[in-house]
Amino acid sequence: MFEGVEAFYRPTTVREALHLLRKAKGTARIVAGGTGVVPGGDRSVRFLIDITRAGLSYIRKRGGAWTIGATTTMAEIEDSAEMRMLAGGLLASAAAACGSVEIRSMATVGGNMANGSPAADLAPPLLALDAEAAIAGTAARRKMPLADYLAAVCAGKMKNALLVEIVFLEPSAARGGWCFQKFGRTAVDISLVNVAAGLQLDARGRVKWARIALGAVAPLPLRMPAAEALMTGRILDRALLAEAAESVSDTVHPIGDIRASADYRREISRVLTGRALEQCAARAGYSL
Amino acid sequence: MNSKKDPALPAKPKNNFSRRGFMRGVGIGSGALGTGLLEKEAAAAPAAAKVVGPGPVPITLEINGKPVHLTVEPRVTLIDALRNHLDITGAKKVCDRATCGACTVIMDGKTVYSCTVLAIDAQGKKIETIESLGTPTKRHPISQAFWDNDAQQCGYCTPGFVMASKGFLEEHPNPTMAEVEHGLGGNICRCGTYMGIRKAVLEAAAAMKKGGKNG
Repeated sequence: MFEGVEAFYRPTTVREALHLLRKAKGTARIVAGGTGVVPGGDRSVRFLIDITRAGLSYIRKRGGAWTIGATTTMAEIEDSAEMRMLAGGLLASAAAACGSVEIRSMATVGGNMANGSPAADLAPPLLALDAEAAIAGTAARRKMPLADYLAAVCAGKMKNALLVEIVFLEPSAARGGWCFQKFGRTAVDISLVNVAAGLQLDARGRVKWARIALGAVAPLPLRMPAAEALMTGRILDRALLAEAAESVSDTVHPIGDIRASADYRREISRVLTGRALEQCAARAGYSL
Repeated sequence: MNSKKDPALPAKPKNNFSRRGFMRGVGIGSGALGTGLLEKEAAAAPAAAKVVGPGPVPITLEINGKPVHLTVEPRVTLIDALRNHLDITGAKKVCDRATCGACTVIMDGKTVYSCTVLAIDAQGKKIETIESLGTPTKRHPISQAFWDNDAQQCGYCTPGFVMASKGFLEEHPNPTMAEVEHGLGGNICRCGTYMGIRKAVLEAAAAMKKGGKNG
């Protein structure tokens, strides 16, 4: 349990936090909710930098874009009236599925992303929303697609950077539907597979666009461009849903572990994708 | 792990040699060694970065409505501060990894696992533990409902379940069985008394509505 921790910092700005992070030369950990870092108890950690006082807890709309600050908790997203409306409550329902209530009181969206877990429940919905990550690093702040940020975290390239906020555009609501699906051993257990899907139809029931993202089925949460492409421009029916779900299960490359075998996860990917798309169609007001 | 208790705390009999006291004694001196830290740099850095540590730091926690002063190292979790430094032993330390819920307390109205909260991070927040709920003769409606429904067997998970139930009922005063099941999903009972617990929570909800104030 954190035997190595010598000091605790509570910066009030992002700049201070970055300064401390750089000075620590890899021996510091950023901590916000603490639900990952504290029980992890990494003994190589010498400094903790708590960013919960750095003013990064907010959900705001600027122009057509939503920004969610890195230290916004799952409970805040789950309870936010705006997030319950946005994309049919896609993000709110994913936040509500992220662990137990005790976890959601503390866990933050920034931690969920920066932790680099392939099973992070907010990753598929944010990927499906084409979210970007605003990063403060050695240079000026920059924005990058969330998918690139997650890949960089996975490659260990984000150790001296701080995720500041998540930005995404409000999706069009007309004839569109979104859905988040999670499958785990229990309701509060880590996801064996999670799926976020969205689609928009034209007046004749043709798919204008489809977005599908899955978590826990590869080293990174992934968008499914092949399945999305095969749906685009075609009339939505059960055969098309089955085809898209099949394509997803061909694309994923899950691991097997104590919770489930790789084959099982692959099968669940197919089933959950089908369910998610079916729900999307229903929420778009379209009967299959 | 040397802790200093606030004299304002209810005085504890000091005569006994307790396990916790022993552990505290052994822990003394293991902390304060770390020096030569980021401090110098931090001093040169933008000044507002508050440094806490190295070594034990004095903090104040608001526990069950009373301010309590103690001295902890920055790495100490809230559950360890409660149990090992303050002898507030209602919350139990079981998995120590945010899974089982035995350490559940309420912080600023939200249920949290006290094993995932650093004690220094709990400063300025209102912490409620099982000790704040009624007395053995005048039980809180939730405790009474647990009693009436045999909602415990070995009892080790019970304080966590009761606090989780309190947090849950504050947000869901009229729960359904399914909501109770889902809302208490973060707590585990190895004896398997879930049916009793769920019934107890429903009963407590009814009692608290009737009783009003006590809840």
